[in-house]
Amino acid sequence: MPDEVPIAETIDPVPVAQSSSYTAEARERHRRDALALTIAAAAWFLPGLGHALLKMWGRALVCFSTVALLVILGAGMRGNIFSRNGEDAFAKLGYVADLGAGSFYFVARALEANGPDVSHANGDYGTRLLATAGVLNMLAALHAYEVARARKA
Amino acid sequence: MMPTPEFRLSHFQAMVIFALLISVAFGFLSRRGAYQRARYILWSFVFFLIIGIGIGWAMYPFSH
Repeated sequence: MPDEVPIAETIDPVPVAQSSSYTAEARERHRRDALALTIAAAAWFLPGLGHALLKMWGRALVCFSTVALLVILGAGMRGNIFSRNGEDAFAKLGYVADLGAGSFYFVARALEANGPDVSHANGDYGTRLLATAGVLNMLAALHAYEVARARKA
Repeated sequence: MMPTPEFRLSHFQAMVIFALLISVAFGFLSRRGAYQRARYILWSFVFFLIIGIGIGWAMYPFSH
């Protein structure tokens, strides 16, 4: 058949200059991914730090203040801070949410010297505020990660 | 570290503080520019309160 072309001839060889620019681009992408992961980890560990590293000062300040206020209020209302020895799925899920606050999880534990009291609605609301602080911080860390990867402004 | 003072908040106070903090955080994370942020924060805060109070009233007949 005259229309048939050997496979080897259909594939255009990549020019050397183009190939080296592709390698440089891939290297740059890997570097940016690693940086984004570091920023996300920093943002999780200390609320607002990820945005501060990206020089987004307003967002950094708001993330830090919001998570700090939620943790102080939650601990002050004697909310339950879940530990890793949770007995059921909800306790484990609560632990994951609380741990989302990063270093503030340990601050909350230190602040709540008298232990939780969920026998009243006040303590129950405190539990929700502590979980919200963690989830909000995870959201902020994800936002910082996306910004560092130049997916979001 | 010193233990934090104990807070006793009413249901409404807890809801207002929660709504305000979350609205501000969402506004700053999702919008750019002071005007856009202020608009978002205000709307989000108002909707939090309206929906919260609405759900409260919707549950009222079941508590009696």
